[in-house]
Amino acid sequence: MITSKKRKVLKSFAVYFIVLVSLFFFISPMLWIAYSSFRERDAIFSEEFLTPLREFTLENYKTILSVTDFPLYFFNSFKIAFFVTCVSLLFSVIGAYGLSRYRLRGKNLYIMGIFSTQMFPLVLIIIPIYLIIFKMGLLDTTLGVVLSQLILVLPFSVWMLKGYFDNLPADLDEAARIDGCNIFQTLGYVILPVSIPGIMVAAFYCFVVSWGDYLVISIVNQSQNTATLPLILQRLSASLLIRWGQVAAATVLTIVPTIILFSFVQRFLVEGLTAGAVKGE
Amino acid sequence: MKEEHTGFTLILPTLIFMGLFTVFPLFEGIRVSFTDKHILKQAVHFTGLKNYHRLLSDNLFWLSLFHSIIITASAVALQFVLGLLLAWALKQDLPGIKLFRSIIMATWVIPVVATVVMFQFMAQAGYGFINMFLKLIGLGRFDIYWFGNKNAALPLIILLHLWRNIPFYGVAFLAAMQAIPQSYYEAAQIDGAGPWKSFIHVTLPGIRNMVIVMVTIHVLWTFNNFEFVFLATGGGPVNATYILPLYVYRQCWRSYTVGYGASIGTVMLVVLMIYFIIYIRIHERQAR
Repeated sequence: MITSKKRKVLKSFAVYFIVLVSLFFFISPMLWIAYSSFRERDAIFSEEFLTPLREFTLENYKTILSVTDFPLYFFNSFKIAFFVTCVSLLFSVIGAYGLSRYRLRGKNLYIMGIFSTQMFPLVLIIIPIYLIIFKMGLLDTTLGVVLSQLILVLPFSVWMLKGYFDNLPADLDEAARIDGCNIFQTLGYVILPVSIPGIMVAAFYCFVVSWGDYLVISIVNQSQNTATLPLILQRLSASLLIRWGQVAAATVLTIVPTIILFSFVQRFLVEGLTAGAVKGE
Repeated sequence: MKEEHTGFTLILPTLIFMGLFTVFPLFEGIRVSFTDKHILKQAVHFTGLKNYHRLLSDNLFWLSLFHSIIITASAVALQFVLGLLLAWALKQDLPGIKLFRSIIMATWVIPVVATVVMFQFMAQAGYGFINMFLKLIGLGRFDIYWFGNKNAALPLIILLHLWRNIPFYGVAFLAAMQAIPQSYYEAAQIDGAGPWKSFIHVTLPGIRNMVIVMVTIHVLWTFNNFEFVFLATGGGPVNATYILPLYVYRQCWRSYTVGYGASIGTVMLVVLMIYFIIYIRIHERQAR
């Protein structure tokens, strides 16, 4: 007979077992690359886990930041992700608000249509997109990259924000309208202030998708003008004489901004991402 | 009537953009799949079903299709099961779980390229973390570069998908589980249901909506994902990880045979549409 106390102990044991295995599997790769970025070349190749404390070095970071064009790529990545986020938010806040609050014939068709674009193989549609960008003369420009990366984030962003707005009481808008607010005043003074968590999550999503994109940038990029971190990281890690210390440092510098932003939105992230799933009929 | 007008105006910018940069490219891509378009050649001829006919006897195409389906099916199935398990652990009110909950989704936010570099680094022969770990537990004779092994490469690609997405599943399922009223569990307990029965009859139906959304978007994302394979193995070794998106990319941007590449891309779309139709059929039957 298993007593309830024994059962509780057994359960805690199972929970912590899952936690430990998960921590090892999910977190240790990140810790390992961060740790390795501070090790000297010889230490990395030594096949030993530990390095004596005095042998840690900042050399890898110094080299990657001074010898290569890494700072330029970092700036490009930031600039592009920033604009993608701004434009996407502008479109999706307005669009999601329209879908959430207005009676519209064939509304479900629009929602389904926007969502089903997630089904389109990106490798297929990127061919005509390349040609459009080329004909517009925007190849290898920030604007061209931003326009083509928008397709990665806009559908999900609209869907997510629509779900979020749906969960806000309609009385809010009613009250604002009775007070004589027009749509943009209602949106700006009433809806946006109470949707900050949802908007932060949408912004975060847009930023990290653009920051991490490889496929789109590999096609619309031609030179250093628009080269981003994923491109340089791929190049560094695929070179024949691979310098793992520097690759590790570059990887850490690529990851850190996303982790910092993640720490700000972490509390709202899942609620925001899945707002459409909870009440998105 | 005025209401409708305003609503439409608000969504119009998004619709125009999506039309121009997503829907038009899709139809254009499908149209090109019936031609012999080549990036370096000016002349384009309509060739009917010739590209599709060629696909039928293209072994690499069938191999890629097979790998794409294997990767998608096993990654999504494992993510679902392990995500449920993780959600169960995350749900417990024990010391430290809150902290664990807050950091675990970090795997989902970092760039795919970074994930691939991390795992390539860990998979190196000799000084890679995986091999050092194997040596530590006495399995040093299996010391190889894991992405370069014909049998290990495909499971490793699946592993990359699992690493990135399981925490997202776990945290999403947790959110759905927390929305189930406690009184449902109490009612089940009064009816004599044990933990397993209440899981089947209360938890699973309660998170049904979330499961549907998570599985659907991950089937699409995994099947269409190009970056993990391209960056980690490039389809190798000896085509052991070749998938459809990679094949499209290589046809278009390396061989410049855009017409043929587009026909493979169109097949990808058809596969996903078949998945959708089957899925909706099952969904409707269950609803009845």
